[in-house]
Amino acid sequence: MSETQDRIQEEAKKALEIGEVTLVIGWGAGSVPFKTTPVFIDKPEDVEKLVWNPACANNLAVYLPKLARDRKVGVVAKPCDIRSIITLIREKQIKRENVFVIGLGCAGVIDATDLEGANVRLRDVTSLEWTDDGLKVTTESGAVTVPPAGCLRDQCLVCDKRTPAISDVTLGEAVGRLEGLSIDIPGLSEDRKAYWAEQFSRCIRCYACRQVCPGCYCESCFCDRVEPKWTAKKATADEAWMFHATRAMHLAGRCIGCGECERVCPVGIPVVELARELNAIAKERYGFDPGDADEEKPLLGSYTEGDLDPAHHSE
Amino acid sequence: MAHIRKAILTPRITVNRAAMTDKLISKNDIGDFLKALSAKYTVVAPMERGDAPAEFAELAPGDQPVLDGSKPMMTPKDYLLPRYEVLVKIDTSEGATKVETPLPEGKPRVMLGVWLPDAQAIRVLDRVFLERNFVDPYYARRRENLIVVAVIPAEMRWSWFCGSVDDVEEWKRNVDAVMYDLGESFYFEPVSEKGAALVEDAFFADPSESDTARKNELWEQFKKTGLLPFAGKPLYENLAWDDPIWDEIAAKCIGCGLCSYMCPSCSCFDIQDETRGACVERYRCRDTCQFEDFTLMGAGHNPRSQQVPRSRQRLLHKFRYQHEQFGVVGCTGCGRCVELCPVNVDIRDVLTRTCSKEMEHKAEI
Amino acid sequence: MAEQTTTLEAATEESASEPREWQPSILAILCNWCSYAGADLAGSTRLHYPETVRIVRVPCSGRADPMFVLKGFQKGFDGVMVLGCHPGDCHYAKGNYYARRRIALTQDLLKLLGIPPERFHFEWVSASEGNRFAALIKEFTEQVKALGPFEGVAR
Repeated sequence: MSETQDRIQEEAKKALEIGEVTLVIGWGAGSVPFKTTPVFIDKPEDVEKLVWNPACANNLAVYLPKLARDRKVGVVAKPCDIRSIITLIREKQIKRENVFVIGLGCAGVIDATDLEGANVRLRDVTSLEWTDDGLKVTTESGAVTVPPAGCLRDQCLVCDKRTPAISDVTLGEAVGRLEGLSIDIPGLSEDRKAYWAEQFSRCIRCYACRQVCPGCYCESCFCDRVEPKWTAKKATADEAWMFHATRAMHLAGRCIGCGECERVCPVGIPVVELARELNAIAKERYGFDPGDADEEKPLLGSYTEGDLDPAHHSE
Repeated sequence: MAHIRKAILTPRITVNRAAMTDKLISKNDIGDFLKALSAKYTVVAPMERGDAPAEFAELAPGDQPVLDGSKPMMTPKDYLLPRYEVLVKIDTSEGATKVETPLPEGKPRVMLGVWLPDAQAIRVLDRVFLERNFVDPYYARRRENLIVVAVIPAEMRWSWFCGSVDDVEEWKRNVDAVMYDLGESFYFEPVSEKGAALVEDAFFADPSESDTARKNELWEQFKKTGLLPFAGKPLYENLAWDDPIWDEIAAKCIGCGLCSYMCPSCSCFDIQDETRGACVERYRCRDTCQFEDFTLMGAGHNPRSQQVPRSRQRLLHKFRYQHEQFGVVGCTGCGRCVELCPVNVDIRDVLTRTCSKEMEHKAEI
Repeated sequence: MAEQTTTLEAATEESASEPREWQPSILAILCNWCSYAGADLAGSTRLHYPETVRIVRVPCSGRADPMFVLKGFQKGFDGVMVLGCHPGDCHYAKGNYYARRRIALTQDLLKLLGIPPERFHFEWVSASEGNRFAALIKEFTEQVKALGPFEGVAR
């Protein structure tokens, strides 16, 4: 992993030195060893701030619509981040020629809060690294290996797209999806309405899920409209329902399932689930995958004559 | 409402501490203790909610709250200042206009299991809602007869930095009692008369010397948790308007409201009216200076339309303006924003950097 | 069959003496050129259909935002319908083709949220189908009535 990190720094330095890009967006060391933070490098000598480790969870494509509007920008990207980039290009939010993609083979990223469940004292952690057996967590008193199932970000548990779909440079090794892992959402299959009612009753409308999502680039979100007031600001379950349901609809054919939304949710709502399920239906019915670079038009911006006709027919 | 303001803000009468003795309660007796308390007070304590942080709720018989401070939890502000609170209801549907102001009951309440930084944050909220010529009646009703019992957990949270932002010995004086998790039992240290009155002989025993030693150890641990280079420095002096750090934060900040919504002392709210037929409901809900439209005026002007002013505002408000206006440090070091920020904007790092620069600069002069 | 009441007072008295049966509230989003015109035709030919329907007119079924459907349920409508021109007959040529994907996914989303699919109806109704429109409203009203009042989206 540290070899890949060196290569990332090399490629970023080269791109900045020759003027290929004026900025490189990547991950830098976090304020604690089990987190990273987005960094914005505009000088070749600063590339040593770039890191690559299991805590590189942020989907950096979220910064591209603003930063890559009028200039070429480099971005260090996991395969899921790249699927976001593909979606942004398809929807004309960025031009392919304005992004220099340093693509990475991926083993998944972790959700640091899971480590507490694995009986790791977060204050003692000094470093993280993937090994063949899982996540090696080095602490002040030694090292412990946490199995991937116990620390991976939920969506990474079932991700099978471990290599970049597009990139200008590909680095690092992909680690195949581990067998037999699935995302367990207790209560969802029994009574969906009751399940979501309970989940949404916890929503505090912080919009962390929306802000962290590269798909939510609208400068004017339906939530911010006052006339008409599609959803009120109050944090009640039914208003939260309206927010999440509409957002899932807005992400139909656009959500690439990185799961950042649910990682950042402070109250543990599995935010990605609705959009993910909807997109799985779209994939099956229309054969549409937003992460497919060959798809030219957005799902809901196109149709075929043979599309399923959802009309009911009365007698 | 002046009498309420006075009652809460008057410095605690220095009671002869020898008259209030520390006690011990076995964790096995907590259930019965809660039952006894519930006969006299409405007991408010954190209730677990699966994957979500625990949340303060009024206990029902049989409830088993998290009293040891060991789990992530929502803040007491969610109880004192609910996320959604109806202020006025107006109904004109039957000819005559009916106006209802559903004020909460001013009943006696005890809040247990409160992290000490959160308990101190209640004092910050008091400054906003009970001072300055206007007493918020909704907040006051819940606050006026509230007994606050803080808890020092067996293990300090990695993100706490309370001792760095303020003198936490002072914080102890602002609660009614402190409980310390000693493992099998809680050490109960009354601070005020109200706190002392909670002790019921049936469940409380005298602590042994080793209990007291262990409790003192925990307290020292708490004081040392998260001690950073800026500890003891006057933070409000060191945050400059034109510090380049705001640009750094603004570059990565994605503009959600997570930090302010989860913060125990952030209290900005919006008031909205909702009409349904012939009824109008005026309610209060949360708002945050981190949202783009927070300072959007009716005529369209928005003084903080960019991320830099918003990032700067949050920190200057927390560490400078609140101190200037209310004489309190707005941040109590609970660490939630540190743990939860999606892009790892770490307020501890910001303060360390700004304070060390000032220190260097002063050394140069 | 009860004798036809002829005076307003008598009619009011009659309805006051019987318990008012619950009638569902239905939101219907109709495209201007076909389904709205069809509803208009039902009206101008004096065809009776239940007064349970609140009609919102949009230029085209392609304008029927899934958000309208969701908002309808959130506000407490017991049933929601979207009606448009038959495929191939859209006044704007393609609007209803886009509607097909959008509405199909809305139906999927409602299912994912546990909202009974029988509370939502999507149909093609042309400007000349006044009879069909009235029959459709009658049938959907009965269907929603059988389900009872909608308890709300987050309960």
